[in-house]
Amino acid sequence: MTATDQSQGGDAGGDTGGPGDSPGDGQEEIPPEPAGFLRRHVFSTDHKVIGRQFLFLGLSFLAVGGVMAMLIRWQLARPGVPVPVVGGLLFGRAGGLISPAAYTALFTMHGTIMIFFAVTPILIGGFGNFCLPLLIGARDMAFPRLNLASFWTMAAATAVLTASFFVPLGPPQAGWTAYATLSTAIGAPGVGQTLWVVAIYLNGASSVMGAVNYITTVIRLRAPGMTYLRMPLTVWGFFLTSILNALFVPVLAAAMVLLFFDRVFGTQFFVAGTTVGAGGDPILYQHLFWLFGHPEVYILIIPAWGIVSDLLSFFARKPAFGYRVTVAALVGVVILSTVVYGHHMFTTGMSPLLGESFMVLTMIISVPTSLLFLNWLGTLWRGASRMTTPMLFCLGLVFTFGVGGLTGLYLADVVADMYLHDTYFVVGHFHLIMAAALLLASFAAIYFWFPKMFGRMMSEPLGKWHFWPTFVSLNVVFMGQLLIGYAGMQRRLYDPSVYEFLRPLLPLNRFISRAAYVLGASQLIFVVNFFWSLFRGQKAPKNPWAVGTLEWTVASPPPHHNFDRIPVVVRGPHELGHPAARALGKDWLGQDESPVRPSADNATDGSTDGSPPDGSTEGAA
Amino acid sequence: MTAAASTVPRRRELDRAVGLLIFLGATAMLFAALLLAYAILRAEAPVWPPAGTPPFPRGAAAANTVVLLAATLALRAARSTDRRWPALAAAALGAAFLVLQAALWRRLAATHLGPSAGALGDVFFALSAFHALHVLAGLVVLAATRTRPARLLTIYWDFVLIVWIVIYVAVCLL
Repeated sequence: MTATDQSQGGDAGGDTGGPGDSPGDGQEEIPPEPAGFLRRHVFSTDHKVIGRQFLFLGLSFLAVGGVMAMLIRWQLARPGVPVPVVGGLLFGRAGGLISPAAYTALFTMHGTIMIFFAVTPILIGGFGNFCLPLLIGARDMAFPRLNLASFWTMAAATAVLTASFFVPLGPPQAGWTAYATLSTAIGAPGVGQTLWVVAIYLNGASSVMGAVNYITTVIRLRAPGMTYLRMPLTVWGFFLTSILNALFVPVLAAAMVLLFFDRVFGTQFFVAGTTVGAGGDPILYQHLFWLFGHPEVYILIIPAWGIVSDLLSFFARKPAFGYRVTVAALVGVVILSTVVYGHHMFTTGMSPLLGESFMVLTMIISVPTSLLFLNWLGTLWRGASRMTTPMLFCLGLVFTFGVGGLTGLYLADVVADMYLHDTYFVVGHFHLIMAAALLLASFAAIYFWFPKMFGRMMSEPLGKWHFWPTFVSLNVVFMGQLLIGYAGMQRRLYDPSVYEFLRPLLPLNRFISRAAYVLGASQLIFVVNFFWSLFRGQKAPKNPWAVGTLEWTVASPPPHHNFDRIPVVVRGPHELGHPAARALGKDWLGQDESPVRPSADNATDGSTDGSPPDGSTEGAA
Repeated sequence: MTAAASTVPRRRELDRAVGLLIFLGATAMLFAALLLAYAILRAEAPVWPPAGTPPFPRGAAAANTVVLLAATLALRAARSTDRRWPALAAAALGAAFLVLQAALWRRLAATHLGPSAGALGDVFFALSAFHALHVLAGLVVLAATRTRPARLLTIYWDFVLIVWIVIYVAVCLL
């Protein structure tokens, strides 16, 4: 690419060349910063502001969903005992007791909020928005106003969902999966379930708007020299997730449309055997839901994988091991994730041939995920690891994802699943991935990018005090769930102690609940750290972690237009421990840094230096 | 692609084209999922349409198809002229399609083919009503257009027409 050669010539590491001096290097006029409080902080089209808005929205709902989890754990540990402290406030009419209806609503809303309104906004909305343009060297998203619409659609969805608490017959109680016929007018006559349907539809609309934006941004707005194989793995994660979002969230939307029609217009897509001679089928809902639902699992985890793959390399001070294999593994998971949804439905009486096919396809997913996992270990191997807080959270993810992924194999097996289906083993499995791994990745991302987002460092000691109790207690909670599930306890039971065979599990349930309270309480350390650092934290330098991706070449926080001059990328994202960097007295090279020895490889088109990011340095490290 | 060859407006146009393609891909998945639901219901039914379903008024639905086709052609014509009337004709025909669809729903409801009357009525109502929302969206954008309609808008209208033809063939004819 000719543009690369042009600007490598003069400015060694300088980032303030005169804008617009050469017409052909992708420079554009810098858009003016909007004036006025509303335009700058509320209805902003700046991806950094929208990212922060998503982050705050997601963290707020994480707190709400977390409190709900505590209440669920209280009921499982002390069935029939009034909830202390908040019981009178929340369940005043029942004398502080969690009623069966309230319990059903609690686990329904806990799942809905955590998946659609906490993890999705934090990781995809928050960090996707904040990171994508910065990491690929763009001034903003491709469609800033669509981005604004995406956030406010999400905000509308949260408003609709919240409204469902205050309608007659109360919030939805059909579980986060809203299986028909629990969710049709027969099972849920109240308007709460209809509001849930609308909220999920709006949430999906927001996700698709985001996906359109993210994909276009990655395809069209990469800085000169930022080839696909020089993109940070974080960007790969968000890119692939957006592709899945664009293709499979609409399938959920279709299910919501039909459910909405069933509930409002009296159609009977998901109702069978009624007096009206309806030809509907409740299982049809499950097909549509899981056709979306299984990709959704990867929609959520792939950004986490991407972030962790980058961060492990950054803090092990080594290039990411097998960058190309990691990318290929991510792509492989994306493709496979679209053809395995049937493993959620082994017990619906599907043809054994179909079940076996889904089983085999599901198990094949463990090939790319194992490659990914081994690459993480390869990155860590003999690295000069810096045990910062983000690194600790990443290592925590590596562990919990390993356990969570392995337990998935039991559930992928038709025969084992016949027994384990709908038990706490399933709950433990998906919490180890959806809750534990995603939570740890979210925290890693927050600790890592907080300096860039808010211009201040978070406290490292508090971060470590946050990590250890979180990591230990969440493993106790979710592995405990695996145990009680293996012992046969079904999920969603209001009071397991009514069954004699589950009564011996009560002490274990109490133990899990205590660990859950520790988990909840240790998040207060994070809250304190977050807000203290927001206002009182140490001012963040440009590049506190000493890494080479583009967001660390601009000020913390970055200016409105991100880059005074669009950077020209000459190498991959993980040039750490690079022998050539020693000449500069450091151990990393920036993606846009001019080559150290101009005589060596400046004459080429740049590909010899940058494109195999894991090739040149591995032997030396 | 050399960077010098692409001016800013040209690049913005390409950005929008990429974005629209992704959006249409997403919308296509939505309708594909709705049609999948229809296919599953139909495959499970012992007879289709279910016993006792009155004959479907294919002619009326075909007439609506022609109206939407005419609207799409008028919009194409509006692309190649500075005169206003093809765009206005496209808007009028698009609105007429919505009115005719609404009339068709009323008629179906009266002849025991509406929503809640049976599987065929359910399928047609859900798919056509959701499709009508997309026509409405295209109309709103067209109404907000003061100059020649953008190429991307005609692509969207073409897409909406194709979706309708697929629905018509799959639900009304097959």
